Amino acid sequence: MAGRANLWIGGGLVAVAVAAALFAPWIATHDPVLDANLMLSEEPPGRAFWFGTDTQGRDIWSRVVHGARISLTVGLVSQAMNTIIGTVLGVTAGYWGGWWDDVVSAFTNILLAIPSLIFALAIMAVLGPGLGSLLIALGLTNWTFTARIARAQALALKSQGYVQAARVMGYGDLAIMMRELLPNMAGPLIVIATLGIGGAILSEAALSFLGLGIRPPYPSWGSMLSDARDNIRVVPWLAAFPGLAIFLTVLGLNLLGDGLRDLLDPQSRSRQP
Amino acid sequence: MLRLILARLLAMIPTIAGVALIIFVLFSVIPGSFASALMDDGRGAMDPEVAARMRAALGLDDPLIVRFGRYMRQLMTGDLGTSFRTGEPVARLVGQRIGASLELALAAMGFAMLIGIPLGFYAALRPGSLVDTLAMIGAVSGLSLPKFWLGLMLMYLFAVHLQWLPSFGYGGWRHLVLPALALGVSPLALLARTTRASVLDVINADFVRTARSKGMSETRVVTWHVARNALLLVLTTVGLQFGALMGQAVVVEKLFSWPGLGNLLVESVFQRDIPAVQGSILVLVLFFLVINMLVDIAYVLIDPRIAVQAS
Amino acid sequence: MRAMSTSNTSLAGLAFARRSMPPLRWVLVGLVTLCAVVALVSPGRAQTTPRTGGVLRMTAPYGSTLTSLDIHTTPRAQDGIVAKVLHRSLYAWDSAKNVPVLELAKSVSVSTDGLVHTFKLRDDAYFHNGRKMTADDLIWTYTRLMDGTKGFPGARFVRLIKGAVDVEKGQAKEIAGLRKIDDLTLEMTITDKVNPGFYFIDDVTAILPREVVESGEMLTKPVGLGPFKFVEHVPGSRLVATRWEKFYKPGKPYLDKVVVLIMGEAAARDAAFRSKEIDLSILGPAQYVAYQADPALKDGIIDVAEFFTRTMGMNPAFKPFADKRVRQAINHAIDADLIIKRLVKDKAVRASAWLPAGLDGFDAAMKPYAFDPEKAKKLLADAGFPNGFEFEWTTSQNESWGLPIVEAVIPMLAKVGITLKPKLIEAAVLSETITKGDFQAYIWSNSSGPDPVASLKRFHSATPHTAGNYVDFKNPAYDKLVDEAAAATDAAVRTEKLRAANAILYDEAPVWFFNYNKAVMAYQPWVKGLQRNATELTHQYPEDLWVEATSPAQ
Repeated sequence: MAGRANLWIGGGLVAVAVAAALFAPWIATHDPVLDANLMLSEEPPGRAFWFGTDTQGRDIWSRVVHGARISLTVGLVSQAMNTIIGTVLGVTAGYWGGWWDDVVSAFTNILLAIPSLIFALAIMAVLGPGLGSLLIALGLTNWTFTARIARAQALALKSQGYVQAARVMGYGDLAIMMRELLPNMAGPLIVIATLGIGGAILSEAALSFLGLGIRPPYPSWGSMLSDARDNIRVVPWLAAFPGLAIFLTVLGLNLLGDGLRDLLDPQSRSRQP
Repeated sequence: MLRLILARLLAMIPTIAGVALIIFVLFSVIPGSFASALMDDGRGAMDPEVAARMRAALGLDDPLIVRFGRYMRQLMTGDLGTSFRTGEPVARLVGQRIGASLELALAAMGFAMLIGIPLGFYAALRPGSLVDTLAMIGAVSGLSLPKFWLGLMLMYLFAVHLQWLPSFGYGGWRHLVLPALALGVSPLALLARTTRASVLDVINADFVRTARSKGMSETRVVTWHVARNALLLVLTTVGLQFGALMGQAVVVEKLFSWPGLGNLLVESVFQRDIPAVQGSILVLVLFFLVINMLVDIAYVLIDPRIAVQAS
Repeated sequence: MRAMSTSNTSLAGLAFARRSMPPLRWVLVGLVTLCAVVALVSPGRAQTTPRTGGVLRMTAPYGSTLTSLDIHTTPRAQDGIVAKVLHRSLYAWDSAKNVPVLELAKSVSVSTDGLVHTFKLRDDAYFHNGRKMTADDLIWTYTRLMDGTKGFPGARFVRLIKGAVDVEKGQAKEIAGLRKIDDLTLEMTITDKVNPGFYFIDDVTAILPREVVESGEMLTKPVGLGPFKFVEHVPGSRLVATRWEKFYKPGKPYLDKVVVLIMGEAAARDAAFRSKEIDLSILGPAQYVAYQADPALKDGIIDVAEFFTRTMGMNPAFKPFADKRVRQAINHAIDADLIIKRLVKDKAVRASAWLPAGLDGFDAAMKPYAFDPEKAKKLLADAGFPNGFEFEWTTSQNESWGLPIVEAVIPMLAKVGITLKPKLIEAAVLSETITKGDFQAYIWSNSSGPDPVASLKRFHSATPHTAGNYVDFKNPAYDKLVDEAAAATDAAVRTEKLRAANAILYDEAPVWFFNYNKAVMAYQPWVKGLQRNATELTHQYPEDLWVEATSPAQ
């Protein structure tokens, strides 16, 4: 029932954000960085500037669509890193077991115990503000859940007949993991990753608020929103549009994740990050 | 039971040691220094000799391995070190903040549980109803808002516009309400969703159907079977959420000038008061581990079969 | 006399102005005085007799903690707010006259060579533990600051005293230049002929009682000579202090209690000020505009041009910046007035050169670099960069002298062919990066007063890079002028030398001269007695502040 609606609405919102990111240079009416005119700063939304201009006199519409590139990059790349790390560690730990499993479990427990936002903050402080740092900070700190699920799935699958059969037939470990285990656990992992992308976008906003975000002048939604916070009473559109972009995109990702869960992984509704 | 607690306590040691190692390494390569941070407002050029002396006095000139050895030795005796910033023991700095942090975390979690769990329950018992749909839309929305933004909106609405509550500060329940609301919204949303999903799972499970077919009254089915089994799943979420909560508290505490651990941690990072950073992270981690141990114990209390599995 | 709402203030200001002002400015001064008088007699300001009692809720806006309650260990502006409540130094700042004045001494006599100062200390100054202050307390304090095993920031001031360096190096136990004549008389011999008022005024040289420091109590229950005594400190939240009955100024302090609320977040301060939960709040550019536009708030704003100069320092080791013409071109290419007006919202005063207005040597007739991209292009072409160049600009996130400014400059420099890459670093890394010389360009706000000679010494070739000459400025003519200004006994000669030196800085343009900070504070209508402290507006001497009975705080 609701699953399909989730999928469609969520997918639709995400598609809009992705389209904005892909076509940013064509749909933006101005350059997001260089077209700054201080004489036209803080213009309200109107015909010339659809979303108004910011304090620097830059077109907010153009910055929001270009910001989609940065924010989605942050979400996608960092979540891809988390998924790869979590899956590799989880699958190998579950499949091989033994001392490696102990090591991975111990490591997972350590990482799980440090609140991920705080860990990301520490990494940002070490590496300094910037996109690269942000990808690393968010990409290294949020894989524990993926690892746990992957490990549990690998444990469950390895005693299945077809996996045993593949082993008897002489397939190597790598081949078995890639061909037998991964495809059979892809559903839940995709769901976690989808929800994680939204989480990363929110974390980026939180880090911007704490003063350790992206390196300007290229806009990210989080940094735009965070920069606008002193101004909300006088120039509300500064915050409204990046805020709305974050809200709708993360909402879309969450709905999409829910929808995918119902579709790909129906038996585990209660297992949520 | 006692053995379970003991085992869990012992298992914490390697985790804490691992955390200590990671954060030590991380913060030993951090750019900037306490002396540099002291003069960030450009009020006066720090005398280079003074800065060098400060480094030496803080023991920052020793090789990394020496510092790590010293640090681990201190930790083993329960000493969290001395703050660069105030010159006081870190344990004292952290101790001053734990009360406020716990207050906020418990209030936020209490608020989330008090509303989230019944809401999830109610929604699950009437799937597809208006309440269910609205509750779930609200929950997804609550998960999609940047925390500081939500806090700021609450501040302007309840403190500036309506003037019902103070906008910041510490002391008394009135000051607690807004930060707890801001912090509690996302665990609330997650709990409502988890509860709903767990209850739905349980309702459709075989043993509940059996109980129903045996003629058990609906109320008893709900309270006895459904509630107990769903609660187990909800507990896991509560435990894990505490970790995330401590992280997000950083943002809420900064916004509301709440004197908790998160605020101390962030300020210490910015001022490069490394011992205070390490101390606050270790205490947060310990806090998380203890909460999860308590959750495990609660598990056993609710369903003794788990104890057998655990041992 | 610090209360700005009394007529004496404007008279004092007048007397001060008389010294260096050309005749034309008399008219202006007269007008200002007239306005002040009108403001005084106008209704709404009716109550002029300070009321005793009440609570004042100040804010500490620069971060979410205090650094330390041992004021000797922290030079940060944040802690200075508390320092003015709890502590006192030998000198204090007179905001009306813009000069340091004696605080803990009743008089001072100076030897003819200007090096031996004999202070007659107050006989009515008591620490909050009830003990009377004596010359021993000053000697102990200054000796502590020279402890070579610790890094006390105040050492750079105390080093002025003869023999202090020996203590710092461990070659002496006592500072030779400090001699106790009797309990209330202190003789201080200094190494340079300067006004010690500029040195022993800073909070990091506040006089502390030895017994409290040595017992370790200073960190938790600080004791000082200030008008309020410590009650409680909730770390990360607030510090509360109550009236010190034995404070040495008769009838003061007026307030019963001062609460310093620690609030680093500007948006949160705004909410708290609007809901009347705080009495004082420092404003950023965005809020300055909002408050000016709000009829309910616009009358509660006080501002002052502070002695802070914001500049972009250019590293001469980076080839383009070695050429004076390139540095001048940068000054011509950036429309600083526009940035100040639109981005900084007039919360700054355009800088012509280094010395800020209000300091001896500041030349009001000096016109800042004109915005002239064509001239900039020509200068660049002459210097061999007809197609411009690319450079990296190191900046922090600061809203007034950081990233937003750099972002606004990007398109301006792009128009003359210069590509600018911002390099964002944390504030905690900024000073280290700059002192190490690890930059092509940086933007920072630096204290440029209150002592004009010390301020210009920053660019003296004898000043090491790490001690403030971040742009490695080297100019023999400049050095000579600054040295002569320091040695001058005649005020007019000194002014002339300072002006000439400042003019060399203007021409050589080692930095892009951006602005002098204008600090803006909002205050609730019941708060009276605020001082325009040009060294730091938040550093209010709280004994002069009072609140009307309409204050909702208890």
